Amino acid sequence: MFEVFRIVMLRQLLQLPAFARQCSPRLTMVTTADYRYKSFHNFAALRKESGSKSEAVDHKEDSPKEEEELDKLYKTVELEMKAYEPAVLKSYSWFATTAAKELGITVGDCWTDKKPFHERFTVLKSIHIYKKHRVQYEVRTYHRFAKFHNLTSSTADTFLEYIQRNLPEGVGLKVTMVGIEKLPDHIQAPNTEHLEQK
Amino acid sequence: MDIFSALHKNVIPLLFLKNAHLRNSRTIHLSAVCSKSQSGRYKITPKGDRPLTYEMANPPHWIAHRKSWNSFNTTNLLGGLRSAETAVEDLFIRKFMVGTWHNLIANEVIIKRQHNIIRIAVLVRQALNPRKMYFLLGYTEELLSSWLQCPVTLELQTIEDKNCTIYKYI
Repeated sequence: MFEVFRIVMLRQLLQLPAFARQCSPRLTMVTTADYRYKSFHNFAALRKESGSKSEAVDHKEDSPKEEEELDKLYKTVELEMKAYEPAVLKSYSWFATTAAKELGITVGDCWTDKKPFHERFTVLKSIHIYKKHRVQYEVRTYHRFAKFHNLTSSTADTFLEYIQRNLPEGVGLKVTMVGIEKLPDHIQAPNTEHLEQK
Repeated sequence: MDIFSALHKNVIPLLFLKNAHLRNSRTIHLSAVCSKSQSGRYKITPKGDRPLTYEMANPPHWIAHRKSWNSFNTTNLLGGLRSAETAVEDLFIRKFMVGTWHNLIANEVIIKRQHNIIRIAVLVRQALNPRKMYFLLGYTEELLSSWLQCPVTLELQTIEDKNCTIYKYI
């Protein structure tokens, strides 16, 4: 029996900031894999640590029995999708859940807030005077959430890579993954021998 | 009371009237300001021969209903990054496209960003021979990708005539 030692790994929105861009003009698309590994400093260390301790976990998906690198295990992978239009979001979430089903991933809740977030601002209509006449603009952000349960890191990598490569323009994705690790050895059950004697 | 009952409106001296426009004098005539929206709207011509594309025919309040945007990116979402820089880059791309393809572009330049790729979609008239078209294609792609520091793809669609884009006449 394993206790859950939660590691929440937050991933950035997929729109890359300027510093991540390469310098040479004719290049292939920067893979999301590269971006992901660069942003997580302790990923390799965490991976090695978990690999040495967590061994056979039969009730999860098939993990390779090599001693060197065992797959990390994720209890949940939550996708938060944001867009300007609800129709685009709906179609993208359908795509993500169908892909997950094909890969044999257990799909959890898929839900959306009924109302979007409105960012509104009011400006003067005219360039000079006429304070009473204004114009209002708004930008809407619609949200949609999807949860997937019990994945290994290789499945998660494949699935997320596929999802992210097919992300439509104008849609942002945020991935939150909750991992499972074995409790460290130094934490043990309390010693109750002295209590039993009495 | 008899005096007042006998008075008609026409008998009352003009000077005592509240309404200034009935006085016999030259004054400034003021009315309330009529601040209608004028953006993105085209006036009808007396002959009715002004061509409009579908985009021009639908005023801005139809965006997201009958119209779509011209640039697609995640900069203006909640927590989006780099919105100002992206907007400036879009302006530059549009100016560059219109300038490089001399009088050939039939519609608005559409800019889509996915990860670090920029995809530019545009309708081009078939006024050049294919060799020149390919040259311009490669030229824009190379220069834009070196200036913007990311892969740029041009997605051209050619049309025979500008009449293909006309939706209605005003």
